[in-house]
Amino acid sequence: MPALTKTFFIKARDFAKAGESSLQIQSILKSIGFTSDLIRRISICAYEAEMNVVMHGGNGELLLTVNPEDIVLDVNDDGPGIEDVELALREGYSTATPEYREMGFGAGMGLPNIKKNTDSLEIDSHNGRGVHLKMSFKVEDS
Amino acid sequence: MDKTAPDMEPVRYVQIDETLCNGCVLCMKACPTKAIRIKEDRLAEIQGYCIDCGECARVCPRGAVAAVRGNDFDLSESGEYIVSPSTTLYTQFGEDVLPNDILLGLKRLGFLYVHDQAYTSEISSFATELYIRENREKKDAPFPLISPLCPVVIKLIAYRFPSLLKHILPLATPREIVTREAKKRVAEKYGRKPEEIKLLHITPCQAIADSVMEGASRKGPRQDKAVGINAIYEPLHRSIQEIDDDRVLHHSGGIGLGWGMSGGEVAALDRNCLAVSGLHETIQYLEKIEMGLLQDLDYVEFRVCGVGCLGGPFAVTDKYRAKHTLQKLISIFGVERRIKYKYVIDLYNKGWFFSDKEPRSQEIKPPQLSSSEISRGIERQNRVEEIFRLLSRKECGACGAPDCRTFAEDVVDGDTTLENCVFLKKKER
Repeated sequence: MPALTKTFFIKARDFAKAGESSLQIQSILKSIGFTSDLIRRISICAYEAEMNVVMHGGNGELLLTVNPEDIVLDVNDDGPGIEDVELALREGYSTATPEYREMGFGAGMGLPNIKKNTDSLEIDSHNGRGVHLKMSFKVEDS
Repeated sequence: MDKTAPDMEPVRYVQIDETLCNGCVLCMKACPTKAIRIKEDRLAEIQGYCIDCGECARVCPRGAVAAVRGNDFDLSESGEYIVSPSTTLYTQFGEDVLPNDILLGLKRLGFLYVHDQAYTSEISSFATELYIRENREKKDAPFPLISPLCPVVIKLIAYRFPSLLKHILPLATPREIVTREAKKRVAEKYGRKPEEIKLLHITPCQAIADSVMEGASRKGPRQDKAVGINAIYEPLHRSIQEIDDDRVLHHSGGIGLGWGMSGGEVAALDRNCLAVSGLHETIQYLEKIEMGLLQDLDYVEFRVCGVGCLGGPFAVTDKYRAKHTLQKLISIFGVERRIKYKYVIDLYNKGWFFSDKEPRSQEIKPPQLSSSEISRGIERQNRVEEIFRLLSRKECGACGAPDCRTFAEDVVDGDTTLENCVFLKKKER
């Protein structure tokens, strides 16, 4: 089975470049020919995850794996980790600084949005040792 | 070229003059759908899907890429036509010529009936507000909603952002409402059959002219014509000088006049809106919406031409002068809608405003691929990535493709060969 993998690097606090990986992922998935709704769900998640790393996570990387039956995004960062994962998954809960809120972030919808748009989500976080996010999306056969 | 492009008939908005084109890369690089390639280092060729944006014509320094001039209209036939000018026409004669003068000038040219689209725009503006209010409460429609007015934006969404098709406001545009209703009314008034009456649009926009002439996906009578403002400007200008009539044909306030200017459509909406104009910013903001941002907004007005429709290729007056005139007109006529609200609410509740093209998302069906096609797509993409890694990423365009990634795709698809990359060749030496 053919699989496509591609790694994207995410730089801490680089707001100017933030969102670039999501755009590239979008364009790769479009040219393979996935349905627009699937691509949209994936790009929403890629963007939210990317922003989480940029804002909270320090440096990180995003690995895209495309299989005929599913698409997986693995995001790793070397930031401080999520203190309370359950709380972070709650809508409206945010640890964004006032500065980030000024920039229009920090509505507390990042992880809840990811949860809503993935078919399966694994969050592996240990205080002080970064976060690993594994987001999977099923490809519906037509 | 994007092989997953929706299956549509290309509309050719521009022509490339072989004698003037020197094969530079500017138009190819400007094209938002990457439809242009340079053949044999000397000639630009439109090969992919054109959305009528006109960007290639704007950037060509040699005048080789030019908008096809609009159709001509034989004024001796005007007695058979209702005429409905785009509100941009009102901005083309300076602030001393009022909309009513322009409509009377058209009447003098012999048209059967002159329709004021500004009034329809005010009705539409209120209907939009009703739709937003209703759907914000029910949480039904996807937000932000996107204005259906600019045909190039609609094509851009269909081609590059198909998941956003459902964001497009499902109401008919003022022009579509006029097309649908004006003939009925005029036929009643003059005791004639609706199918005997024809409709002429006067527009600054090549994309609108094209879609009218095609009768694109429209139901009902198709005897409509569209001409550019430039095609009728001179006789109309003369006619306006000779008006000897004091009838009132213009009925709108300033709000209805403003739709041709970026921000004019949303100005009257008492909602959380955004107005974006210009091709590149339109693309940027559509990307944001596709990534799930801007959901707090109710409505986004996109116009692919800078400044809005006033900057359309068939407009005669400089777009900033036109904008100035428009701002004067708005201050003369005031920022209130001059409509009967109760009447519009009744029409809205009867479904009068809903587009007969509904659902718009069916205009273009995105392809649904089987799993073996997906496997082939992944394999192709892997080969694209492999070739892409070999390239210098100088994005020079000398190979004839707009960027390195597209070149890699073209190589994989057999449309070109690796030898056409000048930097790879240099390395070999």
